[in-house]
Amino acid sequence: MNPAVTDAAARVGRLQRARRARFAAVSAALGLVALGALLLSLTVGDIDVPLADVWAVLTGGGDPASRFVVHELRLPRALLALVVGACFGMSGAVFQSLLRNPLASPDVIGVSAGASAAAVLSSMAFGLSGLALSGGALAGALLAGTLIYLLAWRGGVSGGRFVLIGIGVGTGLISLRSYLMTRAEVTEAHNAFLWLTGSLNGRSWSQLWPLLGCAVLLVPLTLAASRGLAALQLGDEAAGGLGVRVERGRLALLACATGLVGVATAAAGPVGFVALVSAPIARRLLPGQGAALLPSALTGAALVGAADFAAQHALPATQLPVGVVTSVVGAPYLLWLLARANRVGRGG
Amino acid sequence: MTTATSPHTLSARGLGLGYGDRQIVSQLDVDLPPGRFTVVVGPNACGKSTLLRAMARLLTPTAGTVLLDGRDIHTTSTRQVAACLGMLPQTPVAPDAITVADLVGRGRYPHQGWFRRWTAADSEGVAAAMLATDVLDLADRSVDELSGGQRQRVWIAMALAQETDILLLDEPTTYLDISHQLDVLDLLTDLNRDRGVTLAVVLHDLNLACRYADHLIAMKDGRVVAEGAPRDVVTESLVGEVFGLRSTVIPDPASGTPMIVPLGRHHVPSATS
Repeated sequence: MNPAVTDAAARVGRLQRARRARFAAVSAALGLVALGALLLSLTVGDIDVPLADVWAVLTGGGDPASRFVVHELRLPRALLALVVGACFGMSGAVFQSLLRNPLASPDVIGVSAGASAAAVLSSMAFGLSGLALSGGALAGALLAGTLIYLLAWRGGVSGGRFVLIGIGVGTGLISLRSYLMTRAEVTEAHNAFLWLTGSLNGRSWSQLWPLLGCAVLLVPLTLAASRGLAALQLGDEAAGGLGVRVERGRLALLACATGLVGVATAAAGPVGFVALVSAPIARRLLPGQGAALLPSALTGAALVGAADFAAQHALPATQLPVGVVTSVVGAPYLLWLLARANRVGRGG
Repeated sequence: MTTATSPHTLSARGLGLGYGDRQIVSQLDVDLPPGRFTVVVGPNACGKSTLLRAMARLLTPTAGTVLLDGRDIHTTSTRQVAACLGMLPQTPVAPDAITVADLVGRGRYPHQGWFRRWTAADSEGVAAAMLATDVLDLADRSVDELSGGQRQRVWIAMALAQETDILLLDEPTTYLDISHQLDVLDLLTDLNRDRGVTLAVVLHDLNLACRYADHLIAMKDGRVVAEGAPRDVVTESLVGEVFGLRSTVIPDPASGTPMIVPLGRHHVPSATS
C-alpha cells in the first residue's frame, strides 16, 4: 500500500479512537451522575440512611427499618426515575436526529399528548387505574404515533411535514383531554391532573417491573434499529445511495421511539421536556458524534433522577411532581431554541 | 481501492419515470459506458436528475428496468447495489457540528455489518478518499465551517469512501465558483483515469460538459436527444433543439472540444438564420 495512504489511515484511525474514547468517557461521566442521583435519593430523606446501611440493604442485609425505607419506599421510585428518564432521553434523540429538527421531540409533536389523552379517557370513561391505565397510555402513544405517520405519508415521510402534522395532532389531543377534564368530578380531575404533570410520588415495585421489562426489550431494539441512523441523517437520497432501506429503517426507528415514550409516560405521566432537552445536552458534550442515543438516555436518566430528588426535597413540607422541576429546566431551553431558530432563520 | 479489471455496467431499457400522475421520462434507453466519464446535460426539468435517481435505485420506474450488470436493479439487494454503485445527491444534509472525518466515514456504511463496526479497512478507505480529494488536513474540522468548495470535496470523499465502481453525481458543481467547479471536475477525471471509476454526472455548464465528458447525453422532455463523444454530437442545431438557444459552436482554444458561444438578442449581430 502507498505509504501516504498508510500514514493517512493511521491518522484516521487515531481520530476514530479519540472519538470513541470521548464517547466512552462522556457516557461514563453521565452514568456516574445518574448513579449519584440514585444514591442521594436512597440515603437522604425524612429518615437519613447512611450509605453503609444502604449498601447493606442492597446486598440483602440491613436492619428492618432501613430495609423498609430503602427497599420498599425509595429504591423503586429512584430506579423508576432513572428508567423513565432513559426512555424519554433515548426517544427524544431518535425523533430529533431522524426528523433533523431539534424541536421534534415526542412531547412537542403529539406522541406524549396521545398517551395522556388516552390515560385521562381510560380513567374517566372506563374507570381504569394502575396497570390498566398505564396500558391505556401506552396504546394512546402508539395510536398517536401511527396517526401522525399515516397523515404525514406522501409516498414517504419527510421531517418537516411529520413535525407540523405532529404538532397539529398533539393540539387536537390536548383539546380532547381538556374537554374530558371539564366533564370530570373534582377528585378525578385532581388525580388526572397530577398524573398529567408527571409524578413519581408513591411509585412502587409494581409500577417498576412492567416498565423495566418493556425498557429491557425496547432499548436494545432501538439501538439495533439505529444502525442506519448515521446514514439517514445525511438525507433520504444520500442514505439510499449508501444502501439504507430508507422508509423501512425510519418506520422501525419511529416505532421504537414511540414505544419508549409510551412505556415511560405510562409509568410516570408525561414528564415535561426531558425528551426535548436530553439529546441536545448529550450532543453538546459529544459534538459531531451523530445521534448519541446511549449518552442521551444516560442524560435523561441523570436529569429525571436529579429532578425527582429536587422535587422531593426542594420545599420542606410538600413533594412536588417531578414534571414541575423538569419543566423549570426545560421551558427556558425551549424558548431559547425558538428564539435562536428565528435568528438563524431555519424555523427550528 | 477498486480496479478496472471487471467494471460493473449500468443501463436502462424502456425506462418510464414519474412522480404520482406526472410522467417525466418515458421509453428511455441509456447505457453508461464502463470506465468512462459520462455527463448528462439538458434544460431544467428535462428529467436528468430523475434519471440519475432511478439509475441509483432511489426511484421505482413506472415502466421498463434499470439493469446493473444485466440484472434488474430492483430485484438486486440494497446491499449489493450499494457495494458497486454510489450516488451523491444534489443537496445532501450535513448533521450539525459533524467533523470531516466522521462525515467521510459514513460512506463506509455498506461495508459495516451489525456487529462489525470500524476496522483497519475502514480507516484505509476513508484515508484514501480523503487523500484523493485533498481534505485530509481538514479531518478534524467541522463541516459547517468549510467553504462551499471544500464542503463539496468532502461530500465527494464520502461517496469515494464507499469504494464503488460506479459513481453518480447530481450537479456536483452547482453553487461553486468557477475555479472550484474546475477543481471538482479535475478531481473526478483523476478518479476516472486512475481508478477506472465509471462516472455519470449531471452538469449545467455546457462548455465544461463538452470538455470533461468522454460521453455526453443530451436530454429534453424526458427523452435522449443525442448521445456520444461531444466532438461528434455537439452542433449548433443540437444546442438549438435541446436548449432552444441560438449559438455558435467553435473549437475550445484550450482543449479542442466543442465550445458553445450563446447568442442572445443583444450585443451580437441580429439573427440571420
